[in-house]
Amino acid sequence: MSSHTASSSNGGNGSGDSGVPKRNSKRPKYSKFTQQELPACKPILTPRWVVSTFMLIAIVFIPIGIACLIGSRDVVEVVERYETECIPVLNRTNKVQFIQSDADKTCTISMTIPKRMKQPIYVYYQLDNFYQNHRRYVKSRSDEQLKSASKENDTSACKPEDIANGRGAIVPCGLIAWSLFNDTYSFSRQNQSLTVNKKEIAWKSDKQKRFGKNVFPKNFQGGGLVGGATLNESIPLNEQEDLMVWMRTAALPTFRKLYGKIEVDLEEKEVINVTLMNYYNTYSFNGKKKLVLSTTSWIGGRNDFLGIAYLTVGMISFALSMGFTVVYFVKPRLAFYNEDFQMCPASDLWSMVPLVDSIRFSYAVDSTTRDLVTLPSYHGTEVLDRTKNVCRILLMFKTHPSLPIGTEALHHFGTSLLIVTLMSMECLKHYIDSGRILLV
Amino acid sequence: MSGERENVRGSRSRPSRDSSSGPRISSQSVILGLVQPQAPGNRTIYCNDRDANLPVRFKGNSISTTKYNFFTFFPKGMFEQFRRVANCYFLMISILSMTPISPVNPVTNVVPLTLVLLVSLIKEAFEDWRWEKCSLHILLCLNYVQQKRFQNDMVVNNTLIDVLQDEKWVAVPWKKLQVGDIVRVKQDGFFPADLLFLASTNADGVCYIETANLDGETNLKIRKALERTWDYLTPEKAAEFKGEVQCEQPNNSLYTFTGNLIFQKQTLPLSPNQILLRGCSLRNTEYIVGAVVFTGHETKLDIFEEPPSSECFIPGWNLGFRQRLLKENEENQRLKMAKMNEKVHFLALVQIQILGLARELDHVVVPFFYIPEEVMMNSMNVPSKRSTLERKLDKLILALFGTLFMMCLIGAIGSGIFINQKYYYLGLDKGVAAEFNPGNRFVVAALTFFTLITLYSTVIPISLYVSIEMIKFIQSTQFINKDLQMYHAETNTPALARTSNLNEELGQVEYIFSDKTGTLTRNLMEFFKCSIGGEVYGSGVTEIEKGAAQRNGIKIQELRKSATAIQEKGFNFDDHRLMRGAWRNEPTSDTCKEFFRCLAICHTVLPEGDESPEKITYQSASPDEAALVTAAKNFGFFFYRRTHTMIHVRESCVEKMGKIQDVAYEILNVLEFNSTRKRQSVVCRYPNGRLVLYCKGADTVIYERLASGNDDLKKVNRAHLEQFGSAGLRTLCLAFRDLSPETYESWNEKFILAKSSLRGRETKLDEVAELIEKDLILIGSTAIEDKLQEGVPACIETLSRAGIKVWVLTGDQMGTAINIAYACNLINNEMKQFIISSETDAIREVENRGDQVEIACFIKEEVKKQLKKCLEEAQHYLHSAPGPKLTLVMDGKCLMYALDPTLRVMLLNLSLNCTSVVCCRVSPLQKAQVTSLVKKGARKITLSIGDGANDVSMIQAAHIGIGISGLEGMQAVMASDFAIAQFHYLTDLLLVHGQWSYLRICKVIAYFFYKNLTFTLTQFWFTFQTGFSGQRFYDDWFQSLYNVIFTALPVIIVGLFDKDVSASLSKRYPELYKEGIRDAFFKWRVVVTWACFSVYQSLVFYHFVITSSASGKNSSGRMLGQWDISTMAFTCVVITVNLRLLMICNSITRWHYISVGGSILAWFMFIFVYSVLRENVFFVIYVLMSTFYFYLTVLLVPIVALFGDFIYLGIQRWFFPYDSQIVQEIHRHELDDNTSAGSLEAGSQRTPQEEGNPLPREISRHTGFAFDSPGFESFFAAQLGIYAPQKAWDVARRASMKSKPKMPQRN
Repeated sequence: MSSHTASSSNGGNGSGDSGVPKRNSKRPKYSKFTQQELPACKPILTPRWVVSTFMLIAIVFIPIGIACLIGSRDVVEVVERYETECIPVLNRTNKVQFIQSDADKTCTISMTIPKRMKQPIYVYYQLDNFYQNHRRYVKSRSDEQLKSASKENDTSACKPEDIANGRGAIVPCGLIAWSLFNDTYSFSRQNQSLTVNKKEIAWKSDKQKRFGKNVFPKNFQGGGLVGGATLNESIPLNEQEDLMVWMRTAALPTFRKLYGKIEVDLEEKEVINVTLMNYYNTYSFNGKKKLVLSTTSWIGGRNDFLGIAYLTVGMISFALSMGFTVVYFVKPRLAFYNEDFQMCPASDLWSMVPLVDSIRFSYAVDSTTRDLVTLPSYHGTEVLDRTKNVCRILLMFKTHPSLPIGTEALHHFGTSLLIVTLMSMECLKHYIDSGRILLV
Repeated sequence: MSGERENVRGSRSRPSRDSSSGPRISSQSVILGLVQPQAPGNRTIYCNDRDANLPVRFKGNSISTTKYNFFTFFPKGMFEQFRRVANCYFLMISILSMTPISPVNPVTNVVPLTLVLLVSLIKEAFEDWRWEKCSLHILLCLNYVQQKRFQNDMVVNNTLIDVLQDEKWVAVPWKKLQVGDIVRVKQDGFFPADLLFLASTNADGVCYIETANLDGETNLKIRKALERTWDYLTPEKAAEFKGEVQCEQPNNSLYTFTGNLIFQKQTLPLSPNQILLRGCSLRNTEYIVGAVVFTGHETKLDIFEEPPSSECFIPGWNLGFRQRLLKENEENQRLKMAKMNEKVHFLALVQIQILGLARELDHVVVPFFYIPEEVMMNSMNVPSKRSTLERKLDKLILALFGTLFMMCLIGAIGSGIFINQKYYYLGLDKGVAAEFNPGNRFVVAALTFFTLITLYSTVIPISLYVSIEMIKFIQSTQFINKDLQMYHAETNTPALARTSNLNEELGQVEYIFSDKTGTLTRNLMEFFKCSIGGEVYGSGVTEIEKGAAQRNGIKIQELRKSATAIQEKGFNFDDHRLMRGAWRNEPTSDTCKEFFRCLAICHTVLPEGDESPEKITYQSASPDEAALVTAAKNFGFFFYRRTHTMIHVRESCVEKMGKIQDVAYEILNVLEFNSTRKRQSVVCRYPNGRLVLYCKGADTVIYERLASGNDDLKKVNRAHLEQFGSAGLRTLCLAFRDLSPETYESWNEKFILAKSSLRGRETKLDEVAELIEKDLILIGSTAIEDKLQEGVPACIETLSRAGIKVWVLTGDQMGTAINIAYACNLINNEMKQFIISSETDAIREVENRGDQVEIACFIKEEVKKQLKKCLEEAQHYLHSAPGPKLTLVMDGKCLMYALDPTLRVMLLNLSLNCTSVVCCRVSPLQKAQVTSLVKKGARKITLSIGDGANDVSMIQAAHIGIGISGLEGMQAVMASDFAIAQFHYLTDLLLVHGQWSYLRICKVIAYFFYKNLTFTLTQFWFTFQTGFSGQRFYDDWFQSLYNVIFTALPVIIVGLFDKDVSASLSKRYPELYKEGIRDAFFKWRVVVTWACFSVYQSLVFYHFVITSSASGKNSSGRMLGQWDISTMAFTCVVITVNLRLLMICNSITRWHYISVGGSILAWFMFIFVYSVLRENVFFVIYVLMSTFYFYLTVLLVPIVALFGDFIYLGIQRWFFPYDSQIVQEIHRHELDDNTSAGSLEAGSQRTPQEEGNPLPREISRHTGFAFDSPGFESFFAAQLGIYAPQKAWDVARRASMKSKPKMPQRN
């Protein structure tokens, strides 16, 4: 009301119409907040918006997808599964017994390089069916102990690998450290060995903050059962990069961990011989072991997923935007409402006015098919929207009150409002002639 | 008094009472009531002697009605909080998370719970403290419905009252009052405690009190002090008063009091008649003196907090029950059936009103006699209503619990299967805890189940309830209460949401039950026209005539008010032929004189205030009467004083122009009004001895009793009556008869005989009245305008376009009700009317025979027949096309039978098929019953709106009760959920606030559901890849802050600011409201859609993030660990969920941007800091941000996740738009802030387009008779010394100016 502004300007001094400003007036003060008139934009997801949004997504995503895919394809990756091969044929019936025995576990496998690999070449081991993310496993570590020497006895979370019998706390304690992977690989090509650089394989943050400088392994693997690798007790934890890598637990039961880097280029078709010590027991739980050699690109290792995903989403968006455009032009809103359908000149509109004013429609809209159906007991009033020269008739429905509420009919004809775009007088006549709008 | 009657009833209802209560006290209980078991022993009070009372340690008079005090706040508040299932659940989860089986740190669940509790407690404390400025009267009312506020108590406790100290009246605060004190209460003051009435300034030791605070009745009641104590009025005398009161212990029985006053060595029995209860107020009496008997929480107003048993109620719902009642009681069988029903109704009403359990109407099986109707006065909690949406929300929460259970079960089974010693690295062999022991898989599964419950607890949205509460609280306090559109300047009343529970219910109302008087009409009766001796006087044009003329295209010119026009309440009449004594020059001046005298004498009005024409005010049972007396005053017959036997009238210009004389007419008999008689007569003796009977009443009954002859006048008058009726005026016929002394004497003997008879007294009185009310001479007729409230027809038109059906439930006559329905656009001539009335000849005939059982059966049969007929016809019309709209008009008596279980279904079917229903002559209980009928039977959302005490039951029975505020009378408002000043504010309340609230709450709930489900499902998918161990995917703090920080604020912003279309458009297209009625936004389909997208999104979150992380993630070849990936996923979840919120917004303010952006930012700020501090997520965010992978995923995942939603929304709007979306698109180029302009436009659009005809002929034949006033008969009779049994509390009846309690109280 006009008094809104009045009262807001003179500080709730009463409304203009009441004349005398009342001191104890309970008139609420005007504010945009309480009157719910905060300025707002009203996003309307019109077909045009839908189409252009999809288009935009397509335009952005397809190039990204291609770039990702190229990045990923640049990567050369060689994977060699060896957990069966490295068991002597005789022992393959009882692999667990073999792996737990003291027998010689040296094993040689060879890998063929499919494509030239530029250095640095990353060496990964990949384990399968190994639940590093099991709840019991994940919490079986002591971050405090790893960080500082003074917290050596902080092993409460580490059971059962917390204390070595009578010799004090195990450092590093817990199942994670205990089960440290201990297969080792040495590479050679044409009898010339390749050095594996095992530095810089852990994240810097782990090295600097999480693993202590003056924490040294103690009583490690000294208990009854040896779970995995042993650690050199003279090297502090922050330099035991294998341990750090291992202890950054993986999210999935199939995971890769960085073993080291080969810092020479490998040529295509070259055969790399790997002498590996197959110590680690994955045989109890039928886990696979794989050796992976991989280069990296800007995107990281070989992983087409992101590229494919981007590309797919981009394509789908493009298809959808095309599809919607077609629908938009071919079947505009199922003849309900078309915002820019300007086939009707203004003169036609005005010539239609008397006609529209003088007829009374009787119709209904079937909310399931969204099509006009005639139902004699529905009354409509007509409102002409004369803006923008658009020939548009707004049909306001009044559901007939005498219809039994709660019966099927009302639910069926539930829609109360419908906008029809009529192209011309002929169109209106057509609707009338075809019986879709009944004149009463 | 009524010893005999009391015995009869008392022995039935309270058999053991009399023997135990010492000396026989004539205590008058309301029939059928059972008194609360008494505390043993008596109370002895020494009046005016504080020292003597000291040893007993009576409680003080201060009261505390706050929920909490300083010490109890915390424990009590916590208790309140943990009564909520959700909070309890989270408490359990928190406890569970402290055990070793929990995968999460206790912090995960404790932090959100604490935050939620904190917010709730602050809100509670704030509400408890909140200060509402209002008068003492309202405070006491508040007390009555337990609006507990600390500061209100302070006001009540510190109100001053005069107490006798050292022979002087000293003002002390209420709370200082002690038992035994002598106090003085002045006119219009409230009684500070339960008092023993000692003396009054009125000569005969009576005082008038109003008990509105106790029972909602606004009529005056009389209390009479014991004659022996009348003298103790002055402070000096009162100081001498040393009495000893022996009485029962404090109890809750309003209508009983037993005790003795031992005074000057005499034992005087006390009855309720001498007790003035706290909370009542003194009227028409200068002051009274009383002794305090009960104080503070021992007063009857406050005595107990809880009903004795919540099962203890029965509304008089079915007739079968009443019949059983009759069988049980021989005595009652002879009582008039109708009376009986009314009493049952009355009691049941009390039940409903007070226990607020009307909604439970259907499940009632409790013996009738054990209803403590005194519960009425207790300050007890009316159980707060919950909205339908909230109840549906409970179901949704249950469904979530089901989901949770299923998820946990799957996980538990999985874990049982998975656990195996072969995973040696898990260390499962030596002394492993039971939860991982492969040796007992069952235990593993069971324990994992609990583990997973803790892990998935986030699926239940903990902050949902508190968020909704906050949203609703702000909606009601900031939006509804402060809406300028609903502020009524004249009465200075803004709208008031008394509960914030029901905001969204306002958006789904399908049936409105409206009271007529004071709601649709102003209850402003104005003398508008009259017809005297065949001549019409009065020049006004009614609203209805104007409306009709407008529809016919005729323009009526507003007549200029002439100089003679007098503006006064109740008088809107102008005709120079009558005013200022000009009537003497009319040819019919003698008739005029009789006309005016009849107006001045034949009534039951009490004058109040100064005896001058300007200052006097008239108290009357019905405003009609006051209007008539006011009219007489303006015509020069000023009624200024009523004594027990006399009416004093100051007549001017009668003998001679300009001469004034006071005339005293002796009132010999008052033949009171009742609904069967439809007339009222007074036999009076002029000072010159002339005996005249003046009679006024409905045209039908008056015409039957006219003397023969003078047919012309009758015919002309009848034509005038029809003319008045069609103009929507309420008419009365006036007639008189001269009596000869002999005729009168012989009749009077019969009258006295009838009056003193005990059985069938009313019938006999009616019969006797018949003997003298005959051979009347017609004087003329009056026409009173019952003014419609502002904007009512337009509002009703708008509401009906919104698909809301308006029913009028009124205590008025059928004719009046139909008239008003026409005026309000509820009925028009195109409609087919079904009228079911008990006023048919057949029914009357049976009624005259007087056999109650027969009457009952007959009416029932009749009603059944009619219902069946109407229903058949209705169905016929429905199937014929295009059928007319249907309307049903029914009167209370028929309704009573139609509500019988056997007929109820038929009634419901019929009435639901009708566009409008008008129920007239209905009792307050029936209003509630009709409301419940639709509420229960049709399961539709109902809204009741009313303004008076008689609407309280209806207001409480409906889903939403609305009280009309701004005028006097607070009962309806106090019982209501929302109070508005004008009926037409309903448009704003429903179409704007209701619609928006509904939309917002739906969105908030759906969104909460979605975001928690999505979040939890990502955890669930992770569980499958962790060997079902229940390892958490996210860090503890991520999980605990997800609900309360990272996603909390935006949804509240949506709950506050979202609107589909602007307020003006909502009103311009009322049809949009139907979406709410159809519950379009919170169907199960909607929920399932959201759930599907939740599943989809959670899969995207989990698998996209996991899969894309399988290889080294930057050129250094290093691998990401579990916490890196989960942080990644969580980032995606937070971003997506917040963006998704923007997608559901219809309007986006900058608050949306701030909150959504802020939430996402908050997450990053948090993780930047947090990842430096915590071990397991150490540096993860920095590690992540050093990779391309992070940015690529953060771009990809939210878009993919929202892809489905986007397509859905686009297609939905494109191909299956909601109505509101179409309107949005039509008006999307308009400016946003168009409320003011829009509402004007909307207003002009409201003009009805239907070609309405003026009132139809058959209706104009209804001459609009409408007048009813409960009798003063017993009051006058008592004053005349005629023996007449009367009820302690109900002697005099003053009508409020607003409400007419239709509860028949007379015996």
